[in-house]
Amino acid sequence: MSATAEHNPLAEGLRLRRRPDPCILVIFGASGDLTSKKLMPALYSLAYRGLLPEKFGIIGAARSEETDDGFRDRMKQAVQEHARDPFRDEVWEQLAGGMRYVTLDFADDKGEDLLRDKLNELDGERGTGGNRVYYFAVPPSAIGTLVAEIAERRASEGWIRLIIEKPFGHDLASAEALNTEIKQHFAENEVFRIDHYLGKETVQNMLALRFANGIFEPIWNRQFIDHVQITVAESIGIEGRAGYYESAGAIRDIFQNHLLQLLALTAMEPPIDFSSESVRNEKVKVLKSIHTPGPKSVVRGQYGRGFVEGEEVPAYREEQGVAPDSMTETYVAAKLYVDNWRWADTPFYVRMGKRLARRETTIAIQFKRAPHPPFEETASEGLRPNVLLVHVQPDEGVSLAIGAKVPGQGMTIRTVHMDFLYGGAFRTAMPEAYERLILDTVLGDGTLFTRADEVEEQWLLVDAIVSAWQRDRPGFPNYAAGTWGPPSADDLLHRDGRSWRRH
Amino acid sequence: MSAPVGLEAWTGEGVHTADIETALARLRAASAPVGAAPNLRTSVMTHLAWVPEPWLDRARAALAGMAEAHPSRTILLVPDPDSGKDRVDATVTVETYALAGVDRAVCTEVIELRLEGVRAKAPASVVLPLLVSDLPVFLRWRGEPPWGAPELEQLVGIVDRMIVDSTEWDDLPFPYRHLAELFPRTAVSDIAWARTSRWRPLLASLWPGIGDVGTIRVRGTAAQAWLLLGWLRSRLGRDDIELEHVEAERLEGIDLDGVPAPFPPGDPPAPSDVLSDELDRFGRDPVYEAAVLAVAE
Repeated sequence: MSATAEHNPLAEGLRLRRRPDPCILVIFGASGDLTSKKLMPALYSLAYRGLLPEKFGIIGAARSEETDDGFRDRMKQAVQEHARDPFRDEVWEQLAGGMRYVTLDFADDKGEDLLRDKLNELDGERGTGGNRVYYFAVPPSAIGTLVAEIAERRASEGWIRLIIEKPFGHDLASAEALNTEIKQHFAENEVFRIDHYLGKETVQNMLALRFANGIFEPIWNRQFIDHVQITVAESIGIEGRAGYYESAGAIRDIFQNHLLQLLALTAMEPPIDFSSESVRNEKVKVLKSIHTPGPKSVVRGQYGRGFVEGEEVPAYREEQGVAPDSMTETYVAAKLYVDNWRWADTPFYVRMGKRLARRETTIAIQFKRAPHPPFEETASEGLRPNVLLVHVQPDEGVSLAIGAKVPGQGMTIRTVHMDFLYGGAFRTAMPEAYERLILDTVLGDGTLFTRADEVEEQWLLVDAIVSAWQRDRPGFPNYAAGTWGPPSADDLLHRDGRSWRRH
Repeated sequence: MSAPVGLEAWTGEGVHTADIETALARLRAASAPVGAAPNLRTSVMTHLAWVPEPWLDRARAALAGMAEAHPSRTILLVPDPDSGKDRVDATVTVETYALAGVDRAVCTEVIELRLEGVRAKAPASVVLPLLVSDLPVFLRWRGEPPWGAPELEQLVGIVDRMIVDSTEWDDLPFPYRHLAELFPRTAVSDIAWARTSRWRPLLASLWPGIGDVGTIRVRGTAAQAWLLLGWLRSRLGRDDIELEHVEAERLEGIDLDGVPAPFPPGDPPAPSDVLSDELDRFGRDPVYEAAVLAVAE
């Protein structure tokens, strides 16, 4: 073997993780819940596993006055309360040593200068080389200004990556405007539009299930699949977020992002590889192929009073901060079609909402019935079509409903489930979505983030649906909290001779 | 890691495979509350362990540490060819571990088989009916394998991966020649090699300077010393690198031509964690095989 200086023969076979570059993470909106409940616990878990760069810093930035020490104390408490790993002083001290806070009005030049100075100071102390990740946990209206300010102060050394939280815009026009503003200063590969659903292991498992198993792809099409049902159900209400939810509603809060991403992963063609461009190209093709549903194919709802897990809960219009005559939808169901060779005429029934009977995110692939079961009709009365059910949350896993003979005389067939539960096979705790997504950003891997054209396609569909809503005024509330939504959602499927999955 | 939430056991003397299968089914059923859905069986692997009596306590301890991480069917084979009886005695244990968010648990099955008399010479025929179909089979061989003996030959023929710890062997590096003969037949993991894995990236980081090293001095076990030497020789394509070995219970330091190499941070992993890591690997390790071949004499 000839060993040259360019090729390190000792590196062969070593299971070396790609080492992230040194960098500083700046969190805009650091005083919010997202930072304390999700981001900081995720950063701690990454540090706990030694996955962060050795040279790393965190700067919290928000309008509220706070000192470096105050910020560290608050974040320490957040980690102790919300992190999935045990609290270890040495891990925390290493992380907290590079932690600073800047009080900042987002539109204020002076504040931005202060941030730049703090960044330079931390670069000097931690050796982070000018590399920056900016996390925008702020309303969309603040993003444009911040992006311009960052670009203006961009140093010649180091890379910059922008993580932008949802909602990315409010409609197609605002999303396009935001993309245009960002593109004036940053390339697409520097922008990481986050949809935390894509960071979930079970969502990524959809890709493994489809493309790592030879048995599914041949039947993953209109010939064998009767229809698909995607459910994103929450049992909680709006949790004090009336200001946001009143203008967003279920369609912007869930449908535009999480739900369409689940649909895209379910319907996409196999990518040629798992690179960010290949995966996202295929998802965009699906989004472009979704037929705009007519008004009869979309149902919206709003919850009234009801009971969730035995507890009486108020109607949406009775929630604090919600207008008493609010017409904001808390539930959407739709019948969508993906107009391509694989899926023509195969309905994708989707539903999402708040204050539903239970928290559940599932993708159910319902196959066509056996063409000619050679049993007496009564023998298979209890038999339902085969369903491949992907549990995104909770009970993460996959189950397949199949027909099986009931033991005993004669031939009676019942539906039973073959279950794969994640926890039954892989006993390691699953990482939180934000851990994966933050680490991917530091590594510069955009596969699990939404591209500009993707987000615009999503808004295009939402705009088409919402524009039809301007023409009518449904009688809200139309479903009781703690149920599975308005009766009209059931009718949506009954008209096609189908029904929502039983729970 | 959490403790098992349930434990059911059965013991039998002079048993047949059917007795064990029956016991397993009964214990699994008994492990779930009355009227509840049955607990899940393992869906990951069958883990065989060839454990001569002197190794039994250590084997049990390592298993106890990894049972939850790898919910497998584990079959401990304890050979006792001189017992004067020809029979198989069994202790079957089902441990259950809770699954988050559901009212079910996953079962870990441990079957301890004492192979007495001639039964110790035909272990494959005993375990073949007990392997979980279509799942990988790992074999942990405690101590130095009896090269060429029927029990080794039989078990190598039915497993996907054999895990040894050459730290447990005498007269190194000579046994590596026999080990190398198994490479074409099954993937091999060596826990002694795994225990150098924290050090090798640090040594690799010394490239290209390390390419001219003349002597490597290792304070650790003989197995670690020989394997690191073999690694350097095979990777660098040089057979003139010399070894100085200072005996120590674990890898404590490496000098290259008298200069200390960087020391990996943190504590070395626990034995159960090392074994657990090896159970996550499936293919052959050509770098390890080359290191063994480079010192096999």
